[in-house]
Amino acid sequence: MSILVKETGAELLKAIRAPEFILPTIFMPSLFYTIFGVILNKGGNSADYLLATYGVFAVMGPAIFGFGTGVASERERGWLDLKRALPSPAYSYILAKLLTTLMFTAIALMPIYLIAGFVGNVELARGDWFSLFAIHLSATIPFVLIGIALGFSLNSGGAIALSNILFLSLAILGGLWFPVFLFPEFMQTLANFMPSFHLAELALSIVDTGKERATGFHTLTIIVMTLGFLALAIFAWLRQRSI
Amino acid sequence: MTLINSNSTELASALLCSDVIKRFGNKTALDSLSLNISATGVTAILGANGAGKTTLINCALGLLKPNSGSISLFGKAPGLAETKQLVGVMLQDTNLPDLLSAREHIELFQSYYHTPLSISQLCELCDLDAFIDQRYKKLSGGQKRRVQFALSILGQPKIVFLDEPTTGLDISARKTVWRTIRKLSQNGTAIVLTTHYLEEADSLADHTIVMSNGQIIADAPTEQIRASAGGAVIRCSTKLDAQTIAAVEHVESVDHHGKHLEIRSADASKSVKRLFELDPSLSNLTISKSSLEDAFLELNRKV
Repeated sequence: MSILVKETGAELLKAIRAPEFILPTIFMPSLFYTIFGVILNKGGNSADYLLATYGVFAVMGPAIFGFGTGVASERERGWLDLKRALPSPAYSYILAKLLTTLMFTAIALMPIYLIAGFVGNVELARGDWFSLFAIHLSATIPFVLIGIALGFSLNSGGAIALSNILFLSLAILGGLWFPVFLFPEFMQTLANFMPSFHLAELALSIVDTGKERATGFHTLTIIVMTLGFLALAIFAWLRQRSI
Repeated sequence: MTLINSNSTELASALLCSDVIKRFGNKTALDSLSLNISATGVTAILGANGAGKTTLINCALGLLKPNSGSISLFGKAPGLAETKQLVGVMLQDTNLPDLLSAREHIELFQSYYHTPLSISQLCELCDLDAFIDQRYKKLSGGQKRRVQFALSILGQPKIVFLDEPTTGLDISARKTVWRTIRKLSQNGTAIVLTTHYLEEADSLADHTIVMSNGQIIADAPTEQIRASAGGAVIRCSTKLDAQTIAAVEHVESVDHHGKHLEIRSADASKSVKRLFELDPSLSNLTISKSSLEDAFLELNRKV
């Protein structure tokens, strides 16, 4: 237990001391939300709609970059080999990184919620705010697993490149920046393959209640996808250990 | 093939390997390797690059699984949590996270061990005071190595593996590490270090293991390996040819070194006397006790 506390403390310090990680992952989502959801809002419901989707966007950054590029660079430096020779359990490193990511996710979500509530005039029941927060926070898991798979498979250069490509594709193709219903038909089909799309739909089911959504289908799909990412992550982790 | 072997089975064993084979693809990194490292003193593992030193250490730590054979540390299997409590390690080419200070690294590592050393104890052993609160990124090569070294001994291990602890360090940083290794050894910790600085093994190691192509070609007290190179090395300029010199009594080998000859002799004074008889004009004579380097070159030549 004390190992986990210390390990999480160390991860937090590392994250806080890396402004190139902190600034884009924490401030970019709320900045984008302010511009596109609030300032450019021409009397429609984009403040509500984009609250749901930018929330998912805010979660993706810390998860994919924190794990993908973070793990890859620490592995490349031989740090993970050394850790395997130490009497600290392997899960404490992953769990500490996960807890850190969840904290940063929560920190990244807060300004979006505050801007939505106080400036964007988004009105939700208190229970719905909590449901939305729960959905956004649990959206971390599939992206963390993607990050782990990347971090254990690629060198740090490759991980940075692929993390960026995935990050942007998941954001745009999953309809986090522009609603999917504005897309041409083939892109709407493509969105079905994006975990970000299904997570956004689940978040929308709470915020944008005017439209019927297949929440059962989206929940099932995201669970299946997450299990797939879990398998990939475990495979990548085992492979680098067995060399 | 073991050219030199001494049985030290009467001493308690720290690391015991028997018939260990490790292959990478079709390359055999460890070739039926057996050894027994005692629980006290400093043991140096010497060998050229690719001899298998690092592979051996990684197998002993449980980071690599041998294809066959068995390894035990104090009777326990490598890689188990209880084994890791007894083992300290400094791996080759390892960098700690840049953004934490030495103190923060130490505090994290202290949580891993049952009976960790305190920060002040580590500062004293490894001279960390001057930079304990600086971020790892800002430290010089020697300072980084000292931090890694401090972490390797922090858990009060019974055996410490140091994989090329001083590679890339300047001579003063290297001497600091040596001093600490000696101090640690006096406290009764077994130390296993790999190095390709023969000088390092020469000045530190009680026991030396020489590896070549995944096999052990010598395993004996350092003193004995040094002696195996022959009593001394005679350097001189002479008009005698190598064949004539080789025929001189006690001479073991003759090498050309520029204008000089290097003659290895089991009994230098007798050989020199005879050389002067054969060539009274012999000049530039020096005689030196053979070093571990001589022994190492000699051993590698025989393989």
